[in-house]
Amino acid sequence: MQSPLTHFMSAGPYLLRCKMSALRLISNRTSQQALSNSDYTWDYEYYEYGPVSFEGLKAHKYSIVIGFWVGLAVFVIFMFFVLTLLTKTGAPHQDNAELSEKRFHMNSFVADFGRPLESERVFSHQMAEESQSLFHFCINEVDHMNKEKESQKGPSLESNTHFQEVPKSSGMFEEDLHCLTKFNIPNFVNTEQNSSLGEDDLLISEPPIIL
Amino acid sequence: MSTERPSNLIKHPGQTSIPSPENISDFSLNVTDCTQIVVPEEVFFTVAAAGILENLLILIAVVRNKNLHLPMYFFICSLAISDMLGSLYKTLENIFIILCKVGYLTRHGDFEKKLDDAMDSMFILSLLGSIFSLLAIAADRYITIFYALRYHNIMTLRRALVILAIIWAFCAGSSIAIALFSYEAATVIPFTILFPLMMCFILCLYIHMFLLARSHARKIASLPSSTVHHRTNMKGAITLTIFLGVFLCCWAPFVLHILLARFCPHNPYCACYMSIFHVNGTLIMCNAIINPMIFAFRSPELRSTFKKMFYCPRSKLKIPTITPKVMLCL
Repeated sequence: MQSPLTHFMSAGPYLLRCKMSALRLISNRTSQQALSNSDYTWDYEYYEYGPVSFEGLKAHKYSIVIGFWVGLAVFVIFMFFVLTLLTKTGAPHQDNAELSEKRFHMNSFVADFGRPLESERVFSHQMAEESQSLFHFCINEVDHMNKEKESQKGPSLESNTHFQEVPKSSGMFEEDLHCLTKFNIPNFVNTEQNSSLGEDDLLISEPPIIL
Repeated sequence: MSTERPSNLIKHPGQTSIPSPENISDFSLNVTDCTQIVVPEEVFFTVAAAGILENLLILIAVVRNKNLHLPMYFFICSLAISDMLGSLYKTLENIFIILCKVGYLTRHGDFEKKLDDAMDSMFILSLLGSIFSLLAIAADRYITIFYALRYHNIMTLRRALVILAIIWAFCAGSSIAIALFSYEAATVIPFTILFPLMMCFILCLYIHMFLLARSHARKIASLPSSTVHHRTNMKGAITLTIFLGVFLCCWAPFVLHILLARFCPHNPYCACYMSIFHVNGTLIMCNAIINPMIFAFRSPELRSTFKKMFYCPRSKLKIPTITPKVMLCL
């Protein structure tokens, strides 16, 4: 059976010129004289009904084309805005307040390690169990390291700006980094120093190798 | 290639009149007709050849580098194969036309019909293979993110190959069935429903992964010692939009064409849409060129393989792995 899909795929004029004389099936149903023996015959045999009239069109004749592409563009832009809203992690000036608040939560969590807290539940309800436990382990480790350094340096470390400076001056950040890299969301979260936390590696995922 | 390009004489589908060359000048055109918009053959060939070459490079790179024998790269290879098939189809069709014009192929043979059927099946196979490969890639990444510790047990190499075999067997069977029974509405409707369905599913998988990334980003940002810039993470949103936008823009026009051709071939608006069929075909071939850039070339390992292939062709490909992040916590 000849596939009329050919007419979808091969609607090129040059192909039809060549092919139409070879297509027999539908032409057998229509009038035989539709196909002459001329080398340059062509028609769209699948559509047997006659020419389409273009008289009296209310809208522009390419309205479907224009409407389709405009709709597609609107959809893609809408999707982009939805994704951007999803990824908003907060404005910069809210950082200090957020940091101190979250540090409080983390501290209380660390003190009760092993018991899920409300704040932790809020953050982690989307995570898989394994990744959750690993992450908490690392947070715990980091916090222990912080506490050791804090006890040495005194209460002046409470200001967040100093926290920002500490990783650059001491080797503590490298230790944090080492712990964070152990928790491998493959290429998902970039924990390199001086690089922004980007999700542009979202689509690269090299599977973690577990020893 | 041909000097007599009768683009201005092609009637939209529905015309059964047969102009012969000597009557071309006598043929009166309705100036409000939607004429077929023809893409030059040179453009066709260039785009198709670029698509084939690029995807072939990816296949060669994955085969030659032992470090790339991972399920993730096998799925990317599957996508490359389906893109290659699509471009190959267009190239073969053009070659077929040229041979017909020159006269090497008979026009009345059974052979042409079989070749037609085979080429149609190849094209639909390419479309279905693309969709299912993208689905497999998204599912693989999903498992990597959400079942990170058990990934190597869930997605072994053997299982990945079995999954690919099933996908391709299903696509081959469906493409042959669709090519044979394409005039039935029962094939057109599932075919066109499959497309948005798969896209929505892939979108959901990626959005879920996205949300996890956001929550992780927040957690790491809350650590006191991390020097993280708090800004909107635009890059992830841009990447995902590009990926889905490209897929939509390249395949949706063709799917709509199939729908309109089946259900309203006589409507003048539909006919005008169908007159841009060649542009839609070129878009599909452009998708074959863009897909490797979105998926394959973003992998550092694959990029370094390419560099080695091109800059040191004689050296044996023993590329050291980019340091995998090793889980030492446990």
